[in-house]
Amino acid sequence: MSTRTITLQVNGKTVTAAVEPRLHLADFLRDRQLLTGTHIGCEHGVCGACTLEIDGAPARSCITYAATCDGASVRTIEDFDADPVMAELRAAFSAEHALQCGYCTPGMLATARDIVLRLPQADEARIRKELSGNLCRCTGYVGIVRAIKRVLAARKEKTHAA
Amino acid sequence: MEGKSGKGVGASLLRKEDERHLRGRGEFVGDIQRPGMLEAAFVRSPVAHARIKGIEKPAGFEDRVFTMDDLADVKAIRAVTAIKGFKPSDMWPLARGKVRHVGEPIAVCVAATRAEAEDIAAQVYVDFEELPAVVDMVEARTSPPSLVHEEWGDNVFLETLVDDDFTAVRARAPIKLRRHVRTARQSMAPMEGRGVLCEWNTRLGQLEMYSSAQMPHINRSGLSECLGLDQGAIRVIAPDVGGGFGYKGILLSEEICLAWLSRRLGRPVRWLEDRREQLVASTNCREHDYDITIYAERDGRLIGIDCDATVDSGAYSLYPFSACLEGAQVASILPGPYKMEHFRCHTWSACTNKPPILPYRGVARTGVCFALELMMDAVAREAGMEPYEVRLANLVLPSEMPYDNITKKHFDSGDYPEAVRKAVAAIDLPKWRARQKAGEADGRRIGVGLSVYCEQGAHGTSVYSGWGIPMVPGHEQCFARLSPDGVLELRIGAQSHGQSMETTFAQVANEILGVDPDKVRLIHGDTALTPYSTGTWGSRCAVMSGGAVATAAREIAQRVKKIAGKLMEVAVEDLVLEDGKVKVAGTDKQMTLAEVAHVWYRAPQRLPADVDPGGLEATVGYKPQRDTGTFSYACHAVVVAVDPEIGHTEILDYVIVEDGGTLINPMVVDGQIYGGTAQGIGTALYEEMNYDGEGQPLASTLADYMPPDRPKCPNRASST
Ligand code: FES
Ligand code: FES
Repeated sequence: MSTRTITLQVNGKTVTAAVEPRLHLADFLRDRQLLTGTHIGCEHGVCGACTLEIDGAPARSCITYAATCDGASVRTIEDFDADPVMAELRAAFSAEHALQCGYCTPGMLATARDIVLRLPQADEARIRKELSGNLCRCTGYVGIVRAIKRVLAARKEKTHAA
Repeated sequence: MEGKSGKGVGASLLRKEDERHLRGRGEFVGDIQRPGMLEAAFVRSPVAHARIKGIEKPAGFEDRVFTMDDLADVKAIRAVTAIKGFKPSDMWPLARGKVRHVGEPIAVCVAATRAEAEDIAAQVYVDFEELPAVVDMVEARTSPPSLVHEEWGDNVFLETLVDDDFTAVRARAPIKLRRHVRTARQSMAPMEGRGVLCEWNTRLGQLEMYSSAQMPHINRSGLSECLGLDQGAIRVIAPDVGGGFGYKGILLSEEICLAWLSRRLGRPVRWLEDRREQLVASTNCREHDYDITIYAERDGRLIGIDCDATVDSGAYSLYPFSACLEGAQVASILPGPYKMEHFRCHTWSACTNKPPILPYRGVARTGVCFALELMMDAVAREAGMEPYEVRLANLVLPSEMPYDNITKKHFDSGDYPEAVRKAVAAIDLPKWRARQKAGEADGRRIGVGLSVYCEQGAHGTSVYSGWGIPMVPGHEQCFARLSPDGVLELRIGAQSHGQSMETTFAQVANEILGVDPDKVRLIHGDTALTPYSTGTWGSRCAVMSGGAVATAAREIAQRVKKIAGKLMEVAVEDLVLEDGKVKVAGTDKQMTLAEVAHVWYRAPQRLPADVDPGGLEATVGYKPQRDTGTFSYACHAVVVAVDPEIGHTEILDYVIVEDGGTLINPMVVDGQIYGGTAQGIGTALYEEMNYDGEGQPLASTLADYMPPDRPKCPNRASST
C-alpha cells in the first residue's frame, strides 16, 4: 500500500514517518511511537478512550488519520507529567477514586484538563455534559465528576486568595 | 475501625494502582509488542446458522490462513457439568462443519499488521448452506425452527426442577398474581476488549501467553486440555486488565488459536479484540424469561412462588462456567431475601444461534431480582400496601439469623429490614407520594422504585460441587515473603482489574504485620509467579484471597517474632508488630522488620543453631470455616420522572443502603457500588443486544449499544 510522509511534533519532539493513508493516529502513536498511554476502546469515535491533544485541543485519535497530522503538534498522556493542571487532576482523581481499572483514565484526563482550562466556572451539570464523550464502565462517573469539581473549586479558591 | 495505624482495615487509603494509570504507564495486552510479532485477524461467520460447505484460502496466502483442518491436533472446548441431563457442546476453536452464531471464528489470518491480516481475512471465501436460525429462547425449546446441535434432538442444554405441590396453595391463596417478565440480552462491554499475545519459549519449552483474563490459572488448565500440553509448559500472564465484569472469565477460542500459531510459526502472535468483535462475536449475558406466579396472604405475606424460567444460553457451553450455571442459579436464588413456605422453579437453559453467555456481575442475580421485585410490587398493589411494607412483611429478620432459606441458602447475618427502613427514610417517601398526587406540570409521571436483595459471595466447595463444572472453588493460597529490606511481597493467583487488591491487601497485611502499605508489593495474575487459583469472579477475592493474605501475614508475623525474640532475648508473647517494627511491649526495645529480615537472610550467624529454617517465606492457604458463602445485602430506592409519551426517564434521586460487612477500604467499596449501579442503570434504561429474526445482531458499535455515558448516578449512599 502506498504511503505518505508526514512530519509532526509528538510530545515536543519532531517525528518524520511514512504512513499508510488508512493508519489512524492512535495506532501510529501506540504501535510505531510506542506511546501506549493512549488507549483504544472502540475505534469509532464514541468512547473517548483515545482522547489526546492535537494543536492544543482535545481530539479523538482513533478517527484522526495520521496522514492528516502533517505539521500538527500532538500531546499524549506521557507528555503531561510536568503539567501543573494535570498534576492537580491526578491528585484529585486519586483522592476521589475516579479510576478503577484505569483503562479510560488517559482519555478521561485529557477531557478533564480541557474542562478545567476552558470552563473554570463549570458546575456539576456542565461537567457531566462535557464528559458525555468519555465512557467509563467501572466507576459510574461519581468519582470522576467529583475530582473535576474538586480541581475547579481549588483553582477558584486560589484566584480569590490571590 | 481504621486499625492501629490508620492505614489498615477500615481506612479509605488512596490506591497504589493509581499512579501508573494516571500517567498512562499501565501495561495492558495491547501495549505489549515482541520482536518479530505477527498480528492475527479472524474470519468470522456473517450468518447465525449454517453448514460450511467449503473454505477457500486466497491464492498466495495459503500459509497465512489457518482453519480447523490445520489445527487438527487441537481438541474442542468442552465444558460439561455433573448435573444429570446436561448436554455437552463441542466448541471448536475454529468452526468445524457448522457455524452456530454470527461472529463464530472460522479461520485465522496472520500478517505483520492487523490491517494486513484483515485484508487477507476479507479474501477468504466460505461457502455456507444456511439453516433456519434459532433466535427466541422459548421458541427454541417449544417449537424449534431447527436444531443448533442436531445430535441432541432438542435445543436445551439443561432442564432443572425444584419441585413443590401447589394444589392446596392455589385453592386457598387470597392473592394470586401471574406475570411474564423478560430481561434483555446485554454485553458486559468492559472498556478494554480481550487481547492475547502468545510466544513459544524454546529454552523453557513453554508457551508464554499474555491475556486479558480474570482467571489465568483456569485458562492455563483449559489450554493444557485443548492443546495436549502439560500445565507446566504453559505460562499465562494477565497484565493490567481494563475491566472484566465476568466477560473475561473464560477460556477463549482465540487463545487456543494463538497458542497453536505461535508454536507452529515460531513467531510471537497478537490478537486484539476490536469493539465489533466484542459486541457481536464474543459472549453476552443476562437474557432471561420468567413466567412467574406469586401467592400471598391479604396482609402481603408470601405463601409461595411458582416459576418457569428460561435462560438464553446461546450456542455453546463455555469453559469453565458452562451453559448451566446461570439457569441453575435462577432456581437457587429466586426466593431472594424473603421467607416463604412453597417454592417451585422449572428452568431451561435454552440453546440458540446467538453468542454464548457468561455471568455478568452477580450470576443471574439481576434478572432474578428484577422478576421477584416486580412481583413484590404487584402484591403491594393487590394488598393495598406500600411496596416497602410488603418487603418488611417478608424479609428474614435479624432475630432469625443465621437463616437457612427455602433453597437452603445459609444467610449468615444482617438486618435486612433495617436496610429497607433506612432507604425509605433517606429517599423521603412521603414527599414523593405527595408530589405524585399533585401531578407534574410538565405531564411527566413520578415513580418510586424499591429493590432489596442479598447476594452470595465467596462461594465454597459445597455450593459448586453439586454443579460439577470444570472448576469447583473452595480455598485460596498466598505466598508471602518478607524481603531482606523489609518489603513484604505477596503473591496471589487471582487477578485485580479494578478491584484495587494491590491496595486493599496491603491494608490487610498492615493490619497484621504493621508493615506500611507502601512497603507491600502484590503480585497477581501470573501463573508462573503465583499459587494456583480459580481466579477473580463471584465476589470472592476480598474474602478468599484476602483471607489467604491475612493467614500468610499471620504466619510471617509468628516467624518474625520468633527470630526477633531470639535476637532481643525476649519471649515471643512480649512482642508486638506495629509501624514496621517489632517492639517489646512496655519497653523501648525494638527492631525494624528490615533488621529482622536482614539477619535471617544475610547474617544468620546471629541466630541460634536451632532456629526454624522455614524463614520468612511461606505459602499458606485459606478455607472459610463454613463454605456456604457470605451474604451481603442492600436496598436501593430510586425516584424517576418518566415522560409517558416517549418514555424518556430521568433519575431524580437514588439511595443505596448496603451492608458489606467489615469494609477493608470504604472508598473502594463505595466505588464498586457506584460502578455496579451505573451498570444496573444501563440494564434498566439503555443497554440491549438485540437480534433480528435471522439471528443478526442489531447493535455492533457503541453508538447503538449504549453503556450509560453520564447517568444521574446515585447522589447519596450510606453503609450500615
Ligand atoms: S477509541 Fe477513539 S473514541 Fe473510542
Ligand atoms: S476505570 Fe475502568 S473504564 Fe474507567
